[in-house]
Amino acid sequence: MIDTAGLKAPVSAGRRPVMDRRSLIQATVIAVLLLLAIFALPPLMSAYYTIAMIQVAIYSIVTLGLGLLVGRVGLYSLGQLAVLTIGAWVGARLLFATSQPYILVLIEAGLVTMIIGSLITLPALRLRGLYLALITLMLAGGVIVVEATLNFPNGGGGFSGYNGSLTNIPPIRRPSFAGTDPAFYRFSVIVAIVMFLLVFAHLRSKPGRTWAAIKQSEPAALAAGINTTVYKLWALALSAFVTGVAGGLLAGADRELFSINFPIQNSISLLAVVLMGGAFSLAGAVIAAFLQAFLPALLQIWGVPNDWLIILFGIGVMQVLATAPGGIADQFPKDMKRLYGLISRLWRRSAAAEADGGDRS
Amino acid sequence: MPSWAEFQPYIVTGLALGGLYALSGVGLVVLYRATGVLNLAFGAVGAMGAFIAYSMIKAGDPGWIAWITCILFGGVVTLGYGMLFGPALAGRGPLVQSISTLGLALVIFGVIDLAWPTTGGQSPSISFPTDNGGFTVGQLQVNWTQVIALALGVGITVGTGAFLRFSKLGTAMRAMANDREITATLGVPVRRVEAAAWLGCGLLAGVAGIMLADLSALDDTTLTFTVVISSLAAALIARLRSITVTFAAALVIGLVHDLVTPITQISNYQDMTPFVLAAIALLVMSRTQVMTRSREEG
Repeated sequence: MIDTAGLKAPVSAGRRPVMDRRSLIQATVIAVLLLLAIFALPPLMSAYYTIAMIQVAIYSIVTLGLGLLVGRVGLYSLGQLAVLTIGAWVGARLLFATSQPYILVLIEAGLVTMIIGSLITLPALRLRGLYLALITLMLAGGVIVVEATLNFPNGGGGFSGYNGSLTNIPPIRRPSFAGTDPAFYRFSVIVAIVMFLLVFAHLRSKPGRTWAAIKQSEPAALAAGINTTVYKLWALALSAFVTGVAGGLLAGADRELFSINFPIQNSISLLAVVLMGGAFSLAGAVIAAFLQAFLPALLQIWGVPNDWLIILFGIGVMQVLATAPGGIADQFPKDMKRLYGLISRLWRRSAAAEADGGDRS
Repeated sequence: MPSWAEFQPYIVTGLALGGLYALSGVGLVVLYRATGVLNLAFGAVGAMGAFIAYSMIKAGDPGWIAWITCILFGGVVTLGYGMLFGPALAGRGPLVQSISTLGLALVIFGVIDLAWPTTGGQSPSISFPTDNGGFTVGQLQVNWTQVIALALGVGITVGTGAFLRFSKLGTAMRAMANDREITATLGVPVRRVEAAAWLGCGLLAGVAGIMLADLSALDDTTLTFTVVISSLAAALIARLRSITVTFAAALVIGLVHDLVTPITQISNYQDMTPFVLAAIALLVMSRTQVMTRSREEG
């Protein structure tokens, strides 16, 4: 089996051919953590942090989709926030217009986003590297312009579902079984788990290996008989699908959507947090989601302006690119190991010094 | 459809805007050719320079000192970034190097928001003495600032072209655009040439920032992203190579952007102009793309 993460990428959990003891332990730890997150966390959290954690769950799907593109296929997209808003728009529109079950709406939002996302990135597919990153940045700008004009649905009629004269804006509905914030939090986490498993299954099978080949060298992949266009489109479509589902969740989580809440700088900071968290591993997506969605909530409680976060992300992305390409998910365990080595060395030395001193006296 | 007379004023504003996009686009292309870095913090640096100039003018400093400060600020910050991160990231490919400049853009964006928070009161603005003077062509009012903007675009394009063609430093830059390693073996002080390119790009960022703050608006989001996106589109249409094509594309983008203003059906979408034009151009041109050649594929 080919190492799907490529040369520079750190080896992360679960990509081994057989389930050895180490990955078994890892899987157990992840399962326990997830069970804790679903069952133990909601009663412990205040209402404020519950809302923040809903955002973390949703944004973990978004960073998962972006991490897939950046880390696995090598497509740097700066337009992923625009894809998310397309999902949120479609989700909100369907939730107002129909009485379909929420889960069905999520899947539909994902599918529609996948189609739109694939169609508008089709010209970009011919491009690689820098060109793709730039065209997606412009795409993000374009989608934001359209949304600012079209507005998000708020229960009005017509195609846009927007009614500017509404005084009492009806909230976007939530599933009947997840009306409260803690219940919606659990629902979001479960949806996120399903999306992670979907991507994980892709990475473990043929598409994952093919993406790794494309990431290493597109001409080589082409020469090996891989239809690079199809597989790149596949990655973009999968990424757009999960991001669309996240958008559908976001519609239910926020209950009111405004285009002003999705400024273009967030599109850039999204890529920044994905790089900081670690684009090469699935754990990096979760770390990135905490950076993107939890830190702002924390800063707000502490009374620190959100601008500091943007500055931090800016410094973070430069630092990550310059010194730690694997991001926090890769660097943190290494640093911990180094710290452990340092402490144990110091401890041993001081113990030895003590022993020396003891001898002399 | 509005009448011709309604379009006319927008030709002037569109050309002025296009001139500034051209100036920015040329700055981006030259730096990219010399160092392999696409400076995505171009707009942000200019924006912060403009805000500093605004504060200086408000504090009573003479206008010209403020303008020069803005331009110098652009040069110093961009040069500083280039010196710090250029060597650290050299050899990592244009993509990583360019994404890293987005980090600088975010930092500056955050600093602007912290230092000049948007308040409910009078929004900051910059005006030049040349805004009031001007002349008329037929029925069209043209002010000197607009003339300066377009002239700067033309001047910088021609000047840069001549500089690259005839000067020793320009020749070194062109050599580095072809192959950095071979250029270095020929005895060209690569790092110094790169520093010159960073400085030049930064100075242009300052010029674009102060001019756009006057012609467009002194607003961090607009200056940081709109400028970059429009000039990037122009540079992309030129495939990050030709400064002449960049200039022409920038003028077209500026013109189209402003000319759709009177058409009410689509005027809301005018900010999509750079994206639409660049997408069309790339679609058409990438038909003849060769797979493995050029170095910008990184």
